[in-house]
Amino acid sequence: MIKVSGLYKAINGQDILQDINLEVEDGEILVILGQSGAGKSVLLQHLMGLRKPDKGNVVISGVDITNLSERDLLRVRKNIGYLFQEGALYDFMDVYENLAFPLEEHTDLNEGQISQRIKNVLQTVGLEGVEGKYPVELSGGMRKRVALARAVILNSKILFCDEPTSGLDPIRSRDISDLIRNLSKQLQCTTVVTSHDVANSFRIADRLALIHEGRLIAVGIQGEIASSKDPFVRQFFKN
Amino acid sequence: MKHLIEYIFGFIIGLGNALFFLGEVLAHIVRGHVRIKEVLKQIYEQGIQSIVIIALTSFATGMVLALQGYLMLERFGAKEYVAHLVALSLVRELSPVFGALIFSGKAGAKMAAELGSMSVNDQVLATRTMGVDPVEFLIVPRMVAAFFVLPILVVLSEVLGIAGGYIVGISEANIPGSFYLNRTLAAVGYVDFFSGFIKTFFFAILIGWVCCYQGFKTRGGSLGVGRFTTRAVAFSYILIVLSNALLTKIILTLWG
Repeated sequence: MIKVSGLYKAINGQDILQDINLEVEDGEILVILGQSGAGKSVLLQHLMGLRKPDKGNVVISGVDITNLSERDLLRVRKNIGYLFQEGALYDFMDVYENLAFPLEEHTDLNEGQISQRIKNVLQTVGLEGVEGKYPVELSGGMRKRVALARAVILNSKILFCDEPTSGLDPIRSRDISDLIRNLSKQLQCTTVVTSHDVANSFRIADRLALIHEGRLIAVGIQGEIASSKDPFVRQFFKN
Repeated sequence: MKHLIEYIFGFIIGLGNALFFLGEVLAHIVRGHVRIKEVLKQIYEQGIQSIVIIALTSFATGMVLALQGYLMLERFGAKEYVAHLVALSLVRELSPVFGALIFSGKAGAKMAAELGSMSVNDQVLATRTMGVDPVEFLIVPRMVAAFFVLPILVVLSEVLGIAGGYIVGISEANIPGSFYLNRTLAAVGYVDFFSGFIKTFFFAILIGWVCCYQGFKTRGGSLGVGRFTTRAVAFSYILIVLSNALLTKIILTLWG
């Protein structure tokens, strides 16, 4: 379970997050929606312990990560998969090496087992035979799939995805959205996704949250959000 | 006045951050967090990157030194001392300093640009999200490799520079080859060799530190990569030249 309580963050004197309170149940997929600059990515970085809040705390699987040292946070992060907006694959490694990296770092698997795991995970994300390719040789959609494969290769029970459909055409956006949902359910992951893509968020989410100017203004299932009386919520989902 | 105070504060904070970064790297090394496979990969890349240009410039520098020295010394009837001139100039000063400058311009710039590009493309952040310390994985191997590669390149530079001088000595100055070599070996004592060689370790630390730090803190997309890489090379050039003056004074005071 992920629990965020009273989270505040200001950057360069500007309030980015204000009094964020949020709970994500085990196995649930929550999509945080909002306009660009609303604070979605900063919130996700707090969930990962990549930023320290000015006030409030973040509890991941019973561990308050707010005041952990970087070394302790590294241990926590081993159990969390993180999909970056642009994939953030190592460009000096090929696909195989990118996927093998977390396994070599955090497991005792031998070369054969690593190879088998990579083959399986690539099959799951619908990419086979790309092991020897470098990220620069892949399309944007393929890079995202490889990055998603890297995020789940350790069978983490928590998955964070930052704007997974950004920069993709509508078909690829839908494919990656379905893939995230299917993988999360298959691996029973607690998943938090940030997005500004309303249509695909509905495909992925069990529950949705809307963030506006650093504040969570609506949280609920699709029907609850859609029937909100808040003018901004109505306008956001209308568009 | 306000700008000057801001500049001084900025400089002090920047220096503090850079020293903290160096401390972090050294702490990893002391604790034995050194990835041998990555170090060997970096040694290969940094060595390959710089070896040709260092070899060519050293050979040419040895030839030029011998040509100029021979013309000067011949006026005083001391042309056989050209071997001394070439060997001592190269071993004590020229090879360590030129070698470090070239290494900084090639391997140092590569380190800064690679790390800078990784920083702006979230690859450094991705390392942290995978539960791996980016300083240990990306910085320590580069700095350790530089510490070993630069001294080796400088010794190679000295040998090739002396070879360049030797060719000019026997072909232009008509000095017998065996005589030239004997003079060279007699001229270079262990103090001469080590007074230059020791400096290369300091230069290697400076280059690795400055270039890795600038690469690691790169922000601002591709423009930022260019800006921070240029800054990395400029800072390391300045530090090499200034620290050389200081180290030369210390070494001459201690060893004569």
